Amino acid sequence: MKGLSMLILALALGAGLVGILESKATDVFLEATRPDFEKIPIGVLGFQNGGGPEWLGGRVEEVLKADLRRSLVFTLVDLPSLGIKVRDVGNAEKAIFKQATDNGVAVLVWGRAGLKENGKEADVVVDGYVYDGGSDEIVGGKRYVGSTSVVRLMAHRFADELVYRYTGEPGIARTKIAFVSEVGGARELFVMDYDGYEPRQITADGFLNLMPRWSPDRRFLVFTAYRSRNTQDIDLIELATGKRWTLVSLGGLNITPALSPDGNYLAFTTSQDGNAEIYRLDTRTKALQRLTVNPAADLSPSWSPSGREIAFTSDRGGGPQIYLMSADGSNVRRLTFEGDYNAAPAWSPRGNWIAHVCRTPRKEYKLCLISPDGQKRVQITTGPGVDDSPSWSPDGRHLVFSSTADGKSHLYMINADGKDLERLTYGGTHYSSPAWSPAL
Amino acid sequence: MKARSFTACLVVMLGVMMVTGAGCSKKSVQAGSGSKSSEERLAKSRSGSVTPGESLNEGSLGMSGGAGDIGQGAGASSSFPDLTVSGRGTDAASAGSEGGGLRGLEPVGPGKGATEERVGGGTLMAKVQPSDSASRQIEEMRREQAAAAAAGLRDVFFAFDSWTITEEGRMALAHDAEWIKANPGSLIKIEGHCDERGTLAYNLVLGEKRAKAVRNYLVELGVSANRLAVVSYGKERPFCREQTESCYQQNRRGHLVLRTK
Repeated sequence: MKGLSMLILALALGAGLVGILESKATDVFLEATRPDFEKIPIGVLGFQNGGGPEWLGGRVEEVLKADLRRSLVFTLVDLPSLGIKVRDVGNAEKAIFKQATDNGVAVLVWGRAGLKENGKEADVVVDGYVYDGGSDEIVGGKRYVGSTSVVRLMAHRFADELVYRYTGEPGIARTKIAFVSEVGGARELFVMDYDGYEPRQITADGFLNLMPRWSPDRRFLVFTAYRSRNTQDIDLIELATGKRWTLVSLGGLNITPALSPDGNYLAFTTSQDGNAEIYRLDTRTKALQRLTVNPAADLSPSWSPSGREIAFTSDRGGGPQIYLMSADGSNVRRLTFEGDYNAAPAWSPRGNWIAHVCRTPRKEYKLCLISPDGQKRVQITTGPGVDDSPSWSPDGRHLVFSSTADGKSHLYMINADGKDLERLTYGGTHYSSPAWSPAL
Repeated sequence: MKARSFTACLVVMLGVMMVTGAGCSKKSVQAGSGSKSSEERLAKSRSGSVTPGESLNEGSLGMSGGAGDIGQGAGASSSFPDLTVSGRGTDAASAGSEGGGLRGLEPVGPGKGATEERVGGGTLMAKVQPSDSASRQIEEMRREQAAAAAAGLRDVFFAFDSWTITEEGRMALAHDAEWIKANPGSLIKIEGHCDERGTLAYNLVLGEKRAKAVRNYLVELGVSANRLAVVSYGKERPFCREQTESCYQQNRRGHLVLRTK
C-alpha cells in the first residue's frame, strides 16, 4: 500500500519529478527520468609519450575512453571533428580550452604516460590532468605509478576519479565480475575486470562450481560446489588467500546463495525437506531459519537494497514466477503475471527494478525488468538464444548476463534501458553465472 | 574475455601470484613470499574437498557421501569469517587499505604535479593451485560410466519442462530394477539432467525432480531406497551441445550410473 501511495504521489507531482524519492519502508525508489538530463560532454586530448613503449599512452586513452562511455555520466566528444588537435598535447594551451568550450565541451582530459627506472624493473608513470570549462581552469590531476601489468587499472582509477568528481558516486570502472567458465570439462570460478579483461581463475576443483555471489566487502565469494560429484555444498572462498569454508551442507540441493547487503544473512535454497525451499543462515549466530513453506519449488532469493525484502522464484502457481516476501518469510505476494516463465530475479541496487529472465510467447528466454510494485514491466533483450543470470552493476545502470545468442554461452553487458549491448567474453567454450561485484 | 588477455592471464596464473600493493602505500607484496602458509592451507582444503565424506575444514559439518540424499541435513558450518559489513568495516580507511579508496583530484600547476599514487593489483587474489582432483574425478567418472554400460543400465528421457516418466521410461526402469535387484551389492546414482532452455537455477530444481521421479519409480518396483542416491546437474553437464531439438531431447534425462568404490 505504501508503494501504491508513493506512486500516486509521484503521479500527482507529474512527469517533471526530478531526482529520487526513497521509501526505506518498502524499498520502492521512484526515480523519475529527467527529461532535461544531459550527460556531461567530455573530450580526451590524449596521453603523450613520456618515454616508453609507443602503445602505453594509447592503451591508457583507450581504456579511459571506454570507461567514460560506460559510466553513462559523460558523453565522449570527438575532438578531431571539431578541429581540435589531440595528439602530442604536452601542456594543453588556453587556445585549445577556448576552442573546446566554444564547442560545448565541458571537461577536457589529457596526460602523459611513460616509464621510470625503479631498480631492475621500470615503473609505469601515468599523469592525468582535468580542465573544467565551467570554472575555466585546470581543476586537478593525478599521478599513478605501478608495474606495466596495472596500466589498465590506472586508467580505471582515473575514470572513477572523474565520475566521483562530477557525481559523488564511486564509479564502476574498478568493479569486478565473478563468473563460471569451462576448464577441461569442469566448471570453475573466475573473476575478471568489469570490461572483460584480466580474468583470474579462482577454483580448480575439476567438477562443478556454480553461482558465485560477492560478499558486501568484495573479499569473499559464496557459491555452490559439488563435493565429489554426488552432493552439493555452499562454500565460501577468500579471494586473497584461496582459503575455503563450507557454510551449508544440507541434504539435496544447496543452491542460489545470496548474502544480504549488510552481510548478516545468507539466503539460499535447499531441498533437504524434499522440495526446494528458501532458508536463511544468520552469519553471526549461525542460526538457520526456514523462510518458505510450500510444496512447490522456492528458489533464487535476491535481497532488496535495504535487506528488508527478498524477491524469489516459485512454481507454486504452476510455472515459475517471481514473488516477494519480507526477509523473515512473511508477507508473500506474487509479482509477475505476464508470461508462463519468469525466474532468476535480481533486485537493482537502486531498488527501482527487479531484473529477471522472462519467457516470451515465442519461447525465447530474455531479460525483463519489473518494478517492485508490479506497475511497470519492460523486456530489455530480444532475439534468439537463452539469456540467464542477470546481475546489476553497483551503480544500477547496467546488467551483466549470460546468453547463447552467439551459439555458445557468453557474457554480455547491457544498459538498464536495453541499449549498448557489449559482449565481454571471447574464445573458450562456456561462460555462465556472472555476478557483478559491489563498488569499492 | 579478450583472447590475448586470457592467454596472458593463464601465463600469469601458472606463474606468479598476483602482486598487489596497497593503493596508498609504496610497499608492494613480492610474489609468493609471505603467503606460503595460506597457500598450504589452500592446498590442504582442496585435497579434502575431493574425498567423499571428508569435510573441507574442521569447521564444517558436512554430510557423508553415502547413498541416499535425503538423510538428516548436517546443517550449517559453525565457524567461518565474519561476513557482516559492521564486523569487517567498509569505511574509507579499510577500503583504502585494499587499494580501492579514491583520493580525489589534486591541485596541479606549473612545476607542481600531483603526488604519486602507487597502483597495485586491485583486489587481492591468490593463485589457483592445480590439484589432482580434476584427473581423479575424470577417472572416477569413467569407471562409473563403464560400470553402468557393462551392467546395461538404461536411461530415462523426459518431455520439455516435464519430470513425468513416460511409458518408454517405465520400460527402461523395469529393466533397470531387475538388474539392481539381481545385484544386491550395487549402489546406483541417478543424475537428473536438463536441456539448455530455462535458467540455471530452475533447471537444477527440475533436474532434481527428474532424478527423484526415477528413484521413486524404482522404489515402486521394489528397489530399496537406500541403494539409490540422486543428484541434479541441471543444464551443467550436457550430453549434447547443439541447439537442436534432437540434442535437447538427449539432455532431458535421468542418467543411471553405478557407484564404484
